[in-house]
Amino acid sequence: MKSIHLAPENVSDLIRHLQTLGKVFAPHPKGDTSFSFETVSDPDSVVLDYNRTLQSIKKYFLPPRERLMSYSMETNQYEKEEISAEPRIFLGVHSYDMQAVLKLDFNFGQGNPELNYLKRRENCSFIGVSFTPDDYHFSQSVGIPVEDLKGFDLFFRKHESGYTVFVVTKKGEELLQDFSSLSDTGFESDISYEFSTQLSINYNRLPELFNHVWDSPVWEEVSRNCVGCGTCNLVCPTCYCFNVEDNVELSLKTGTRDRHWDGCMLNSFAAVAGGENFRESYAERQRHRIYRKFKYISDVTGEPWCVGCGRCIASCTAGISIVEIVNKLKDEYEQTRLIKSTNKQERASVESSM
Amino acid sequence: MVDTTLVRKAMSELAYQDQNPMELYYPEIAEITKVNQFTELEKWYEITLPNGRDLGHQPGQFVQVSLFGVGEAPISITSSPTKKSAFELCVRNVGMLTDKLHLLDVGSNLGIRGPFGKGFNIDAFRGKDVLIVGGGIGIVPLRSLINYIIDNRQEFGRLIICYGAKSPKELLFADELKLWESDPEIEYHVTVDNIIPEWKGHVGVITTLFPNIELDLENTIAAVVGPPIMYKFVLMALKTKQLPDENIYLSLERRMKCGVGKCGHCQINQSYVCQEGPVYHYPDIKNLPEAI
Repeated sequence: MKSIHLAPENVSDLIRHLQTLGKVFAPHPKGDTSFSFETVSDPDSVVLDYNRTLQSIKKYFLPPRERLMSYSMETNQYEKEEISAEPRIFLGVHSYDMQAVLKLDFNFGQGNPELNYLKRRENCSFIGVSFTPDDYHFSQSVGIPVEDLKGFDLFFRKHESGYTVFVVTKKGEELLQDFSSLSDTGFESDISYEFSTQLSINYNRLPELFNHVWDSPVWEEVSRNCVGCGTCNLVCPTCYCFNVEDNVELSLKTGTRDRHWDGCMLNSFAAVAGGENFRESYAERQRHRIYRKFKYISDVTGEPWCVGCGRCIASCTAGISIVEIVNKLKDEYEQTRLIKSTNKQERASVESSM
Repeated sequence: MVDTTLVRKAMSELAYQDQNPMELYYPEIAEITKVNQFTELEKWYEITLPNGRDLGHQPGQFVQVSLFGVGEAPISITSSPTKKSAFELCVRNVGMLTDKLHLLDVGSNLGIRGPFGKGFNIDAFRGKDVLIVGGGIGIVPLRSLINYIIDNRQEFGRLIICYGAKSPKELLFADELKLWESDPEIEYHVTVDNIIPEWKGHVGVITTLFPNIELDLENTIAAVVGPPIMYKFVLMALKTKQLPDENIYLSLERRMKCGVGKCGHCQINQSYVCQEGPVYHYPDIKNLPEAI
């Protein structure tokens, strides 16, 4: 792997160069405190130093709202939606969001591989950038370091005098071809990034922990303030559940079938016609969300399905934290295990003295 | 512990491999060719696919029925795979789609995707006595299995049907029930919760039928379908009769949108009902706390 120096004043030039190769998407400031991935029109408005975007780049592969077909209700004929696979370059992606895309690749590629998603994933290049972890990031705890290069074609390491660009793939090398404002750097030593928020259990042991905490009182406790708004689902880069609905034109002659993001924290998510709701309480729904992140899919893939971006914590209006939930589950489990083993020892000593 | 780097490698290869992605969400336009209003709430349909193509389903599978302008809903197939060139649905009017569906008559079009999910494992039933336990509209998917057995009678042992409904008025497939009752090859038991004066039969919940039925335990396979509340009690009663768990198959209902294992609505713990169900071998789900 090659590494090259990119001076801060040359970043806009590089973006202009990338724009000749494909449509470029990058983080932009949104309001006073937020950031958002947008199509780049003015390279100078791109911000590469940001904590997190409101939505991950998931929205480009699984759009929040997507038309599946248009139909006529008179003739019962429908037209399929064409999905284009134009070259797209995603610049300024954090490692956890890149990992989230690779996880979605698994979800949409396994079983019945889904055309809509996989088509949108074609012809994409990814340029990562390092970040300074804030109070909500905990990606290191789920096995994703700041400089996890997997999935990236290029990776920008930010330092005081600009960026060190790591050329990760051949595709990345091609992205830089004919761009001259780069200078060679020597071999750089590693940077350590401090995460103030961490899981108190190694992520390798999470599936094991989740074998034991189904009936934990922690679920009720942490769900007491939950209002079931589903924001945690909507901002999660690995949540991909969706709803499908028909929307009819005012003429009542034509309509569309659209899919949109859904959330397992919403009350109606597991409700069926006839009145049965298979996950009625907040605690049941919270448990399902957390098991999806650390157990169900992890048992198949060997990886946590949470990437530690901290979005659900930062966005929760009730102050619920996935890190706190996991840490409480671990503490509670260890305590009950301790009580059980103490009881056992006591029983054993009583029995042996009899 | 799985080597995560290996998994990641496999995952990313999967992404770039472009392994023949599929158009999963487009229905085939079919036609309603027969209709019969069974009860106030339940209507029966015969559906014919373009060119009379065979649906090719297994008893217990479902289709996604699609009405443009309304949406889609998962509906159990009630006809036996032995019926070719058309298939049948029996639909209770309880939701938005079924409400609109009930307005349709012969000649109307609707969209069909599927068949989806796993049906009853016929091989496990073959050569065995079959105990059918159907509560309410649970009889709808079971009828597919029943008629398959009737059409291949020599391949199966005893056919014992236990059917329970809230009231005599809610019993479905009235004409066929008479045939089952009079068929010497079928042991037919029926019960209702609420009686009307004309009712001369058994009264009580479905499990009250069991004490009068002798089972050859090792040689009996049970197929159970009913409302969510029914399973707990039927499973308890079958346990009391000492029928091994390995001999029980049941079908579970959940909310579904895609039918192809993507949308997430039908999950029972880690199991997608539209993929691994709706028919489950009981030992496979007895440790899933969200199942029963």
